[in-house]
Amino acid sequence: MSQPSTTSTGKLRLTQVSRRIGAQLLLDQLSLEVEPGEILALLGPSGCGKSTTLRLIAGLDPLSGGAVWLGERNLTPLPPGERRVGMVFQSYALYPHLSVERNLSLGLELRGQNQASIQGELQRVLSLLELEGLRQRRPAELSGGQRQRVALARALLRQPDLFLLDEPMSNLDARLREDLRPELRQLLRSAGVPVIVVTHDQQEAMGLADRIAVLQEGRLQQLDTAEQLYSRPANRFVARFIGTPSINLFSRDGQEIGLRPEHLELARPDAPQAEGWRGLDGQISHQEWLGDRVVVHLTTPGGTTLRVLRPRPAPEGPWQVRWSSDAELHFDPRTGVRIH
Amino acid sequence: MRWRLWLLIAPALALLLALFIAPLLHYLWLSGHAQSVVTGLEPRPVGAQQWLRLLNDGRFWQDAGQTLRFAVCSVGLELILGLAMALLLHQPIRGRAAIRTITLLPWALPTTVMALGWRWIFNDPYGPINQVLQALGLQPVGFLANPALTWLALVWADTWKTTPFVALLLLAGLQTIPEDLYDAARLEGATRWQCLWRITLPLLVPYLLIALLFRLAQALGVFDLIQVLSGGGPAGSTESLALYAYLNAMRFLDFGYSATITLGSFVLLVLLGGIGAVLWRWRPLAGEWR
Amino acid sequence: MGRTVLLLWSLGPMLWQLYSSLRPTQALTGVGSGWTLDHYRQLLSAEPPFGHYLVNTALVGSSSTLLTLALAIPCAYGLSRLGQRPARQISLVVAAAAAFPAVLLFLALLEVARDWQLANNLLALSLPYAGLCLPLAVLLLRAAFREIPLELEEAALIDGLNLWQRLRWVLLPLIAPALASTALLVFIFCWNEYPIALTWLSRQELLTLAPAIARIAGSSVYTIPYGAFAAATVLGGAPMILLLLLFQRQIISGLTQGAIKG
Repeated sequence: MSQPSTTSTGKLRLTQVSRRIGAQLLLDQLSLEVEPGEILALLGPSGCGKSTTLRLIAGLDPLSGGAVWLGERNLTPLPPGERRVGMVFQSYALYPHLSVERNLSLGLELRGQNQASIQGELQRVLSLLELEGLRQRRPAELSGGQRQRVALARALLRQPDLFLLDEPMSNLDARLREDLRPELRQLLRSAGVPVIVVTHDQQEAMGLADRIAVLQEGRLQQLDTAEQLYSRPANRFVARFIGTPSINLFSRDGQEIGLRPEHLELARPDAPQAEGWRGLDGQISHQEWLGDRVVVHLTTPGGTTLRVLRPRPAPEGPWQVRWSSDAELHFDPRTGVRIH
Repeated sequence: MRWRLWLLIAPALALLLALFIAPLLHYLWLSGHAQSVVTGLEPRPVGAQQWLRLLNDGRFWQDAGQTLRFAVCSVGLELILGLAMALLLHQPIRGRAAIRTITLLPWALPTTVMALGWRWIFNDPYGPINQVLQALGLQPVGFLANPALTWLALVWADTWKTTPFVALLLLAGLQTIPEDLYDAARLEGATRWQCLWRITLPLLVPYLLIALLFRLAQALGVFDLIQVLSGGGPAGSTESLALYAYLNAMRFLDFGYSATITLGSFVLLVLLGGIGAVLWRWRPLAGEWR
Repeated sequence: MGRTVLLLWSLGPMLWQLYSSLRPTQALTGVGSGWTLDHYRQLLSAEPPFGHYLVNTALVGSSSTLLTLALAIPCAYGLSRLGQRPARQISLVVAAAAAFPAVLLFLALLEVARDWQLANNLLALSLPYAGLCLPLAVLLLRAAFREIPLELEEAALIDGLNLWQRLRWVLLPLIAPALASTALLVFIFCWNEYPIALTWLSRQELLTLAPAIARIAGSSVYTIPYGAFAAATVLGGAPMILLLLLFQRQIISGLTQGAIKG
């Protein structure tokens, strides 16, 4: 894929960006940096502030504090149209009354860019995204995947200095999503500008992004690679949010212990226990098929429920759940911060 | 950003205020002044004199009664006929779209045009109604010479013109009622009549109320129809408040008193509207009306 | 059965007018027979010819429609983008104005026409007409604007379109059906309006349809003028009937939306 506009645009920098509506704090002093060519995912449950962040960067909502920088340019005072951002909306927001072609070119035309250069760019972007055959179609005549590509093409055509994507895959069915992910990742990377993807889906965040920022209630919880988020979560929230099936949490000796279901094993209570391993007796309450694997739910005599991930269902009978003490994550029960 | 939105709203809002609020303030001022041929058409302050005159003006109160009677009767009739018409138009009959359009035709006609037409239809002795009566060997009837019959002719003409509008509104309401409700009722053995009373009408209440309020306000201001069809006659028996105010200004050139009549009518209208507003709040359905 | 009654009730009076307008005067009063276009000829060759009134009315109707839209579009857009509470309050006031009987205004408008010398000025008539139509127009268009997803306008913002460009290229094309409904309803209102035209227009050649008809009704120029009356009602009503038949869908949706959303 050729991309003539890979000139370095500078990194995106958010410094203590806040958003407040009345007494409600939607985003609390968020600071982060994204390098050109890097893809950052904003991940969190709905209402965590991830879409708010995207809208602040795009200039669709005003900041209550802080600043947005792109390289040496302060974007904060600029209206959205002058920030040179390319944005893909969750609904794709294609103009329903215009053809694919006009959907892409409207903005440039109205800025008075000359027709010849628009047509050249249009041709390049349409062929890049394999949309040439659909030039004259209306959005209503396109499939979900085609609409997504048109939305991407519209953002690309402007040769943006910054790419923003709001849940770009959520309107596609699960199969298509998996198929398109590597393609999208490749395309975004090749643009050579900072990219931010908002998503509530950890699979998508891990599949697309180089680093992931986990947000909750308007605060940044952790910003790290997928691997680090999984193995070294900053706190209980991140530990619980990352990984499926989600982490087992229980108290022991005044500490909160976290254990991933995939790190647990089942053994008969009378089987010998290896050095450095721990165990808890349990009764199987039910088993859940995931297709390729099985989640076994057990209840301990103390009333704790544990989930164990296994390749096959477990037979009936008494079991002991066992794990290596290295796999344990320890959290401060009061603050939720990981201690060990 | 915010102030720019207000800037967009301002021109329209300014025109609305100028058109609806300024006249009322002006009437208030003018009702405290005599401005007629007697004063050489110059306003002269007279205090509450014209309001006292209004309170003791038999013609004003007679007209108020006549206007109210006209409005209540024609709007009531329009609601009943409009409901029947809407139910009929809701049936899946052949050529329904065309019939709906044809039904709406009377609404689109200018009131003055229609009033002139009705004057001819009620003509004595050459109008079609009298032709039929004569063909049956009966005496022709002077519809527009008899107060009661003239009143009837007015209600008839108004009903003819505005029932389609009411029907259209109620039809829109009917279309919001899910078919499932009727299926469920039929499973329980409800008759069509019970369906109408227990399902259709209660769910149509918001639409009936909108039609009622909107039509009542318009019917209480009736002017065009009466001026062209009966001229308020015979002997003032069909004169409406609006016509009385108009005559005071245009024929008697008594602007001060005309303003007093207009404002007096408005006060009566607001009183009626207040009753409507109380009903609006009182209905437990209020939340669904928006 | 119900269908027949309904059609007869709606069409009967109109067909009678059409029939009367084509019959010689003598035939209308009992003696004589045959058909004639005399009544139409008489109307169209009167001084001023009846066609004059139709042209005047169409002129007032068009200019009022344009003015109404010019004021209502920005207002409706502004209201649709304003927060919930102020928008609802203003809309309530607007809805109340929609139910206000316009006839109460004629005395004040009479003075406005006199003091500002707007009497007998057809274009000036657009001002009160636009004002009277604004409530309905604003309610209809606001409802239409609110149905456009906000993301669409934000996409246009990111595309760098200014307010005018967003309206012209994105929003207005999307509310075209509502614009058509609104324009038609405003035009029909202006075509039919009587009391204000009556007070603002006095010169015969400037009259719009409604006062012209009323003047014909009140005149004793014709001995038994009912043939001419009938012809006048046909000519005056025909444009509206045509409009309704052509644009039934837009008009019906506009009427129902207007009453329900208001």
